Amino acid sequence: MAKDIFTYLVGGKAGEGVKKAGQAAARLFSDMGRRAIEYDDYMSLIKGGHNFSIISTSVHEITSHYLKADLVVALDQRSFDMHIDHVVDDGVLVFNSDTVKAKESPKVVGLPMTEEAKKYPEPALRLGLAGPSVLAAVIGLERAQLRSLIEKEYGRGVKENLAFGQAVYEMAKAKIGARFELEPAVSDKSRPIITGNEAISLGAAAAGLDIFFAYPMTPTSSILHYLAAKSPELGIAVVHPENEIAVLNMAVGAAAMGARTMVASSGGGFALMEEAISLAGMTETPVLCVLGSRPGPSTGVPTYSEQGDLQFALNQGHGEFSRLVASPGSIEEAFYLSGELLGLAWRFQTPTILLTEKHLCEGAMTVDIDVAKVKFAEGLMHKESKGPYKRYLDTKDGVSPMLFPPSKELIKYDSYEHDELGITTEDPKEIVKMHDKRRRKGESIVSHLRKMHTVNTFGEGKNKGPVVFTYGSTTLSVLEAFRYGELQGTVVQPIYLEPFPVWELAKYKDRKAIVVEQSSVGAFASLLKDKAGIEGTWALRRYDGRPFEPTELASELKGVM
Amino acid sequence: MAKETPKDPLITYAENTWCPGCGNFGLLTAFKNAIKRLEEHGTPRDRIVITAGIGCHGKIHDYLNLSGFYSLHGRSMATAQGMKLANPGLKVVDFCGDGDAFGEGLEHMLFAAKRNADITVIVHDNGVYGLTTGQFTPTSEKGYRGPSTPYGSIEDPLNPLVLLLEAGATFVARGYPGNQAQLTDIFVQAIEHEGFSFVDVLQPCVSFNNTYKRYNEVTEHLDAPAKDLDEALKISRKKDRLPIGVIYNYSRPIFHRELFGDKVPVKDRTPFDRRHDAIRKILKV
Repeated sequence: MAKDIFTYLVGGKAGEGVKKAGQAAARLFSDMGRRAIEYDDYMSLIKGGHNFSIISTSVHEITSHYLKADLVVALDQRSFDMHIDHVVDDGVLVFNSDTVKAKESPKVVGLPMTEEAKKYPEPALRLGLAGPSVLAAVIGLERAQLRSLIEKEYGRGVKENLAFGQAVYEMAKAKIGARFELEPAVSDKSRPIITGNEAISLGAAAAGLDIFFAYPMTPTSSILHYLAAKSPELGIAVVHPENEIAVLNMAVGAAAMGARTMVASSGGGFALMEEAISLAGMTETPVLCVLGSRPGPSTGVPTYSEQGDLQFALNQGHGEFSRLVASPGSIEEAFYLSGELLGLAWRFQTPTILLTEKHLCEGAMTVDIDVAKVKFAEGLMHKESKGPYKRYLDTKDGVSPMLFPPSKELIKYDSYEHDELGITTEDPKEIVKMHDKRRRKGESIVSHLRKMHTVNTFGEGKNKGPVVFTYGSTTLSVLEAFRYGELQGTVVQPIYLEPFPVWELAKYKDRKAIVVEQSSVGAFASLLKDKAGIEGTWALRRYDGRPFEPTELASELKGVM
Repeated sequence: MAKETPKDPLITYAENTWCPGCGNFGLLTAFKNAIKRLEEHGTPRDRIVITAGIGCHGKIHDYLNLSGFYSLHGRSMATAQGMKLANPGLKVVDFCGDGDAFGEGLEHMLFAAKRNADITVIVHDNGVYGLTTGQFTPTSEKGYRGPSTPYGSIEDPLNPLVLLLEAGATFVARGYPGNQAQLTDIFVQAIEHEGFSFVDVLQPCVSFNNTYKRYNEVTEHLDAPAKDLDEALKISRKKDRLPIGVIYNYSRPIFHRELFGDKVPVKDRTPFDRRHDAIRKILKV
């Protein structure tokens, strides 16, 4: 029977090209017109250890990988031991018989991968290519299809790669060729496969990003790498300063002179930026700040995922000023939201925070993206006025027109409390005036959000059954669990978390609520309760650094729904 | 609050609250004269933007009738670099205190010098945290008594000139408001210098660290900048006599130009549709 959902897992040591073996497979599925999602599990080390990539693919929408695979390729003993139980009943595990001691069976097949790799220079680097080569054989692809994949994805040393890949392919074909038949795709339209970090980068670029500042920190480092690499094509400047404090202060300084800026970090680096978030709030300077969470507190578990920074994001910066925090529930949404948040930062001259997690940052999936949907980030600009220009003009909606040097007008930004012109003040009336202005701006933000799409709702039918509340990348797992378990019910995912769109959520107040999040204390459940008065009947929490697995989550949800 | 338009076009209506006799007055006067000189040299004042840290010195941001960004304690060097990167057509002058420059923000200072960011940093170096009532700073003499060191500071001071020279600053000077003509001249040269320029201004604090008498005795005029780094370091390490003037001045590639050539990010933007086309090309859609 043709398989719709098919999962491929490749595991090995860091430095063996495991991630690449995953990416290439995802590309292969996309070129077949299928959708694919890629999950990389890697340890915080450079060489050795255990890394694995899982790619799940379907001709229909798919939003999570599955831990149990149809095909497991184990490059080393540790991968074999760890994943031998992760093979589905009719699946197959292919292991490297030169490094793994295991008994062969129809389900467990050994191939001399290292011996084959040793025929070429730098054998260790080539080993990972065994993954997609075995995959091509077991799903019955022609040799030419593998060839074209290797030419595209393994361009460096392509001659040797072709020879190695095809040798592995032939070995696999002889033993388990065409073991699986994949359900054919409706069209062979190939979709782009991008990571969440690439989506965030491109979304901001689409909205007019001028300069990106960042200091490396997992899981947001690849935004820095990606934008640095693409800076000539995109016309963006990328700066990697001495620390995160410099990162945001530079970004604020640049924004005050008219540049559209973005910064990114994880919890620890973001904590260093926090002083400047308050600065951006006080000086009314637009900047988009990306917070990619990993399990905390402190250094935590750097290469894994958690939603433990929700309260941290919502309460960024000392003092009273309006914050804007939103979290994407998919990689496509990350693209649009990144552009939208740069736009809102400019519209309201305030820092905006895109909160996400390692799972989305570094996960990759096939996407359908319409670039034209992203609008250019624009602020209210100063035109002629009677008197002198006032940076902090006291307007009805709290938004003062901007103007950038050089200008004949005096343009003063001030971190101290200030008067309309931007001169420091301690006058009680002036203090109240500026507080009120910023508060009114907060109200303007809320009125604006009321007109925007701030909450995603899935599966709301006529029967008002239980509601599953979730947010951020956990949405991906929840939606896949619903598909897998054929669950009936509503999934509600607030995209905006501050201001919290209570106006959209009020209607769910009397429904049975299940809150799913990656938090040990239930930060999202508290937010729902405190802000929207929604008390979760059930809480499903995971906080071991790994995203929810759809089959497990589906059975847990079935149990409580 | 009185908001009379001041007669001096370089001064705002902000009330000046520096202590009578403060060294900052002399610095302000020399800076205003430098602005006038720069205009004569062809740099209009609207192309000069300022930033400042937090402390007595920072009030200069309120007083000067120039556009700018009143930053945080220790962060103005980062602010200044961001301002410059956005619009390299601007001359960016950063005023900071010795607490900003060598305490809270030392890392930003050293890295600005390391990357030869094209900004001017003027340090109001008075060896004391005046606005927080006189604590010792990174440049206070050993034995300095303040509220946090009532029995005398047990730390040796940093030597800012040596630090900045080693970090790669391409223009290093020491000034003293007691010599107005020279200080004005140093400011003009520093702002006109292409690259990271650093001016350490010996600034007496009449309330907590009155160094007028000592500086009048020990400062000496430096006729010409050092020929090489070794000589500059030697001049900077002098303790008994304090040479005043431009200590070192050389040229090497500047940061923003190395990063993006002659582009002005806020002006030379890739048109919106071309940006979108580039993204479609990357995504192959």
